[in-house]
Amino acid sequence: MSVRKIKTISYNVFRVFILILFLLFAILPLFWIFITSIKTGEELYSIPLVYWPKNPTFDAYTRLFTYSNFKQYFINSMSVTLSSSLVAMVLSVMGGFSLSRFRQKKLKGWIELLLYFTQTVPSFMIMLPLFMFFSKLKLVDNLPVLASIYVATVIAFSTLMSRSFFDRIPVSLEEAAKIDGCNMLQSIVYVVLPLTLPGIAAIFCFAFVNIWNELFLAVMLINKSSKYTVPVALNSFISKAGVSWDLMSAGIVVSLLPTMVIFGIGQKYIVAGLTEGGVKG
Amino acid sequence: MKANKWYLLMVLPVIAVVAFFIFYPLMKGGIIAFQNYNLFNLKNISFTGLENFKAIITNKNVSFGMILMNTIKWTVLSLMFQFLLGFLLAMMLKSPFKGRSVYCGFVFYPWALCGFSIGLIWSWLFNGQFGVINDLLMRADIISENIGWLSNPDIAMYSVIIANVWYGIPYFGIMLLAALQSVPNDLYEAATLDGCGSVQKLFNVTIPYIKPTIVSTVLLRSMWIVNFPDLIYAMTNGGPVNRTHILGTMMINKVYKEFDYGQASAYGVIIMVLLLSYSIVYLKLTKASEDNML
Repeated sequence: MSVRKIKTISYNVFRVFILILFLLFAILPLFWIFITSIKTGEELYSIPLVYWPKNPTFDAYTRLFTYSNFKQYFINSMSVTLSSSLVAMVLSVMGGFSLSRFRQKKLKGWIELLLYFTQTVPSFMIMLPLFMFFSKLKLVDNLPVLASIYVATVIAFSTLMSRSFFDRIPVSLEEAAKIDGCNMLQSIVYVVLPLTLPGIAAIFCFAFVNIWNELFLAVMLINKSSKYTVPVALNSFISKAGVSWDLMSAGIVVSLLPTMVIFGIGQKYIVAGLTEGGVKG
Repeated sequence: MKANKWYLLMVLPVIAVVAFFIFYPLMKGGIIAFQNYNLFNLKNISFTGLENFKAIITNKNVSFGMILMNTIKWTVLSLMFQFLLGFLLAMMLKSPFKGRSVYCGFVFYPWALCGFSIGLIWSWLFNGQFGVINDLLMRADIISENIGWLSNPDIAMYSVIIANVWYGIPYFGIMLLAALQSVPNDLYEAATLDGCGSVQKLFNVTIPYIKPTIVSTVLLRSMWIVNFPDLIYAMTNGGPVNRTHILGTMMINKVYKEFDYGQASAYGVIIMVLLLSYSIVYLKLTKASEDNML
């Protein structure tokens, strides 16, 4: 008995130790970026390194929003990301539901295979033709165009994800609703959708995070600085002279906030969604 | 039958969007790969057969063999450590404790970051002169002079891989944790009755039970890592002396520096052919059905 007890205790000590290591590994890099962002210019490049700024300053943040017009980039990013994630969510819920209920196995198989296939496509491969196509139409520097492309970049995976949510909801529920006098649309809206809400939230979070973070397509399709998205703006902070790390750190911290909020709210759903939905065990 | 038509109608928007924004440009890109398509020379575009592929494979400045090896090293090492550490994390998180969901929020957070920002964050940490990693190692007397994490050709690849591992642990942590929680407890009880120790339980109960999750996450993740040059682009952009160039970063440089869309697309074709053959072999070896792919 006592040997077993010692074993459990030592395992728990080991477990706590490992968990602390993982936590430190995960948060210290971000913490250091935050520290960097509140240092004064002198502290930033002083040796030995300053670990705890004596006069913490939010000067870099002020410059970010005055000198570099970060507010505009933030609004651009927000409108592009929100609109395209919402559209992607609606379309992939519809598509995923249909694929799940579709009875023609062969056609369904082909559609799903096509959607899987998109995961192997490097984004640069489609970027060039898209750029040429839209620049011919004089549609570069156009945020709605960028948003539509973003819908396409996340929709294949989202649809497959949502299909597996609906797979887990028995068709008999809809049939029961039909007997009770619901038509197809009603049975979907009142019976099926409420059951898949966590999954739908997960799809939205997944789309939001991916689109908010996208850089290369935006660099290619956006040249005018008034149309920059946040990653494009961060990219533009890198000049030939190098990186001004206080401004960059502040930019990184601010750019993290929306995904942090989304992740904080949606974590539960993302975990439930990616796992229950994505992985059929 | 009537319902089927409705279903088809509802999935059509997805197909239309993917067809127009992914498959149509993909076909165009496939064609460009066989043309001498350069942004500076748009007047004389013509089909040149396999010239682009030949140029890539016989490139004297950056040998194709080295790029392939770098791509494999980048993918395999990143994947291996992301998986092993993610698995360890999931095992440690399996039995609930107070504040577990808050803990998960902090430890899984890197998943939601932008690849480019992660690259910037880590290049600041790895900075040779003002980097905190060198400073900490010096203070701890582990090293006596600064290490060029990103400038030393023998080390740079490992530095970018460390950053990638940092980013990828949460993905496996999240996926494997949920899979672990789905293993029925009676299986463990039965194994205990049969006299299995914890190591035996791991290999005879846990891993076989969550194998479908392992198979699918590893496959998807390996494709995503190959197609994830963002991090290298931000940290070293292929340097020093091309030692961190992978297929994806070569493609980026062909576009941004040389405006040679033909060769860039040819790189894209090479990446896709490699990934498709890899997935076919992988699925054959693991005998996973298509349904388990996600």
